[in-house]
Amino acid sequence: MPIANSPTTVPVVVDEKKCIADKGCTVCVDVCPLDVLRISEMTGKAYMKYDECWYCMPCEADCPTDAVTVNIPYLLR
Amino acid sequence: MDEISSGLSEVECDILVIGGGTAGPMAAYKARKKNPDAKVILLEKANVKRSGAISMGMDGLNNAVIPGYSTPEQYTKEITIANDGICDQDAVYRYAKECYSIIEELDKFGIRFQKDENGEFDVKKVHHIGTYVLPMPNGDTVKKALYRQLRRARVMISNRFMATRLLTGKNGRIAGAISVNTRTSEFLVIKAKAVIMCTGAAGRLGLPTSGYMFGTYENPTNSGEGYTMAYHAGAKLANLECFQINPLIKDYNGPACAYVAGPLGGYTANANNERFIECDYWSGQMMQEFHNELLSGKGPVFLKLNHLHQDTADHIEEILHTVERPSRGRFHEGRNTKYSETMIEMHISEIGFCSGHSASGVFVDDNARTTIDGLYAAGDMASVPHNYMLGAFTNGAIAGEHAIDYVKDMEFDEIDQGEVAKEQERILAPTKREDGIPPNQIEFKIRRLVNDYLQPPKVDKKYELCQSRLAEVREDMEQNMMVRDAHELMRATEASSILDCADMAAHASLYRKESRWGLYHNRVDYPERDDENWKCHVLLSKQDGVMTCEKRDVKPYIIPINEDEKDAYNNQRVQAQA
Amino acid sequence: MEHFEAYTDLDDIGEKLNDSDPAVRRIAVMELADEASPDAIPFIGKALEDESTDVRLQAAIALGEFDGVEAAKALAVGLQDKDTKVVQAAADSLAELKDPAAATPILPLTSHEDPNVRAGALRGLKELRNPESLAYGIKALSDPIAGVRVQAIGVVGYLKPEEALPALINCGRDENPSVRRAAVGALAFSQSPHAATALINALSDEDWSVREVAAEVVGKSDFEAAIDPLIPLLEDENWQVRIKVIRSLGKLKAVKAIEAIAPALDHKISNLRKEAAAAFGEIAHPDARPYLEKLVDDADPDVRKNVRWALAKM
Repeated sequence: MPIANSPTTVPVVVDEKKCIADKGCTVCVDVCPLDVLRISEMTGKAYMKYDECWYCMPCEADCPTDAVTVNIPYLLR
Repeated sequence: MDEISSGLSEVECDILVIGGGTAGPMAAYKARKKNPDAKVILLEKANVKRSGAISMGMDGLNNAVIPGYSTPEQYTKEITIANDGICDQDAVYRYAKECYSIIEELDKFGIRFQKDENGEFDVKKVHHIGTYVLPMPNGDTVKKALYRQLRRARVMISNRFMATRLLTGKNGRIAGAISVNTRTSEFLVIKAKAVIMCTGAAGRLGLPTSGYMFGTYENPTNSGEGYTMAYHAGAKLANLECFQINPLIKDYNGPACAYVAGPLGGYTANANNERFIECDYWSGQMMQEFHNELLSGKGPVFLKLNHLHQDTADHIEEILHTVERPSRGRFHEGRNTKYSETMIEMHISEIGFCSGHSASGVFVDDNARTTIDGLYAAGDMASVPHNYMLGAFTNGAIAGEHAIDYVKDMEFDEIDQGEVAKEQERILAPTKREDGIPPNQIEFKIRRLVNDYLQPPKVDKKYELCQSRLAEVREDMEQNMMVRDAHELMRATEASSILDCADMAAHASLYRKESRWGLYHNRVDYPERDDENWKCHVLLSKQDGVMTCEKRDVKPYIIPINEDEKDAYNNQRVQAQA
Repeated sequence: MEHFEAYTDLDDIGEKLNDSDPAVRRIAVMELADEASPDAIPFIGKALEDESTDVRLQAAIALGEFDGVEAAKALAVGLQDKDTKVVQAAADSLAELKDPAAATPILPLTSHEDPNVRAGALRGLKELRNPESLAYGIKALSDPIAGVRVQAIGVVGYLKPEEALPALINCGRDENPSVRRAAVGALAFSQSPHAATALINALSDEDWSVREVAAEVVGKSDFEAAIDPLIPLLEDENWQVRIKVIRSLGKLKAVKAIEAIAPALDHKISNLRKEAAAAFGEIAHPDARPYLEKLVDDADPDVRKNVRWALAKM
């Protein structure tokens, strides 16, 4: 059976103007216990690649530039 | 990143610690402290900076045995009774005697506990017998402080490597572990003279009622690999039928933190604003009462703070929304709920294994030793009951200090390279398929079946149905699961661990033919507690490739419990009305 | 590929502090903090003089990972930064220090012209419990800014010196309720009659949170003289104060308070009924028995538990 891509709205949002991942920062990607964040090869900024979030917040709390916001996943809001 | 690549490296060390959450860092730190020349590797599938159950922080200790407030003897009695007598007291007693020195040490690490205006620990009374609660208003610094100590002790930290199987040697001793990188799928074999497993709870076993797979009570990264690895290595696991089920804030699925709100006057109430919980100590008995109330006409159940002075309610809100699970504030904001105004709806969690809250764990003695020579376990995955965070710290320390002496004159036990090749093949199988079932669907199905059939009250027929359905999923998993990148491969490996845990949960539950531990092991077909036949541990293990259970006597109590003392505790409880 | 976290050469990271991009310099500060070696402190100290506020802020945060005199010296610089965010971060990091020797470079800042600096310095000194801080703490008890006085009470209260009693007692009469509350809490260490008198006076404070603390402390300190002044407080307008009063009367085994506590057993808020039952158990006098017996079947299980326990104590 072929695989489909189902849409999902991801809880973690990154403000690209504030994010300094393109300067070598990897804090949010490092601290996520589920390893769901990545740095985009296109923009050089962090983004949520996998919708597997525990809304635990280290990515937001440890971000040096306050670029990350963790929202509550829609299904449990 | 995330592309699947091949590769196999091998390293050696004296002690391998698997899991960088709470117990693991403490074990590694203590081992290096005791012998600074020893080579100690700490393996973590995420990054030790923020991994494990206490990722963001912890808002208090709820089992602190502090001189002047409670005694190790009193604590040991209380845990023995809370666990319905199934308790090897030596490990609990040792924890109780040593945990205060660990609190003092953590305080020196810069982990802050609440103090009064004279700088004394501000211990709170929550339980009727004994006083064990010590808040941590700055509990969000726990992981940072631990990381600092690991770096200073120069522990070799290996992030992003997920252990998948333990290796035992020709002499039956532990010989190391196989691990796979979660971003590249490269393998790392670690040969070790001793291994300490600290991989946390099996918290991704049941499915949260919200349907969001990662909205679990426990950190969902804790998917039970420790239980699975111990099982496949031939270690014995104790009392897995004593599930973990917790009270929580509905949908958000985070802890309600009665230990924070309780000392300030908050409590759990039914829809009539009344308390209903008779049981004094967090236990299966308490969860049975919670379950009964939810099903009765008086439900649902709430966290009640709106009778408190506005300042007090706001103060509680501030703690609960900043320390342990800070996104809770955002959740309530979205629903427009203020603690000072509305009661907060509660519910019970999905099931899991976690000795930290109940008693299900890899069987260990008072030195954190498992039944395999050289293999240790500590924290939520080891069988010391009701251990919580302080137990993880204390037993992690005990394991690290014991293991470092154990390896002193020890040689490596020889590993079988055939085993390594076999494990590589097993792990990589889903990467070899062009087409198939993705791991998230395999996992969802397992966990949905767990909810449908294994969630207590336990019914024999449902359990048997579950076993055959799980066997079908296992076939799908082994024949058809496919992954597209290294991250999915991690999820696929976790799915196989979750399936093993589901099988173990079913098997152990069917073996114990009685009801015990309130809701945790409420068996409809055997509703009575049967001390004559079942006041014993149930140990599950793999014998000749087959899942097997056996009875094991509870060790004679070292802190005897007199009849009148039993009454003092039993007076605080009621029988379950199943 | 790398299997283990690196322990990097500090000079290599330090080199990045010369980069023209402040974001790169900031990341270098974070890397220095992760190294956790005390040798990183001079580099971070250099970053505290960076022209970019963000870099200085990161440096002030980073110093929270270290301990000892050198870290304290650097934080003393951060605490005097021109940007309030940096000052706040330095104060937070200062509060993480543990080594008593770290107090020395901080002491002079307790008389700095900026109240944020004074408060931050005192907050850091508290946990260090260095006896040298005492004189500075006592002096700051009369600081013009209330927030500074609260922190000063912490410094003095942690050291528990009898000679500071008059000054602490004086703070118990402060115009600001937060100061009074802290001072009353800090008196718990003393068994002197002066402390007892001050606590009894605080029982009639106009602020409920001060009364609440005072009611709690007199019980902890076992001041029998507090029984009479506690009894009228059983009619305090705030039930949370009444709870503490009942608890302390129980601890003080105040037989003469039984009649006055009894109405709490009928209160609609079960927390009060629960506490009153527990207090009767502590007092363990037969006069309380009839009151307790009426509550054996209370709707609230916690009340019933305490009633059972109290009756067993009679």
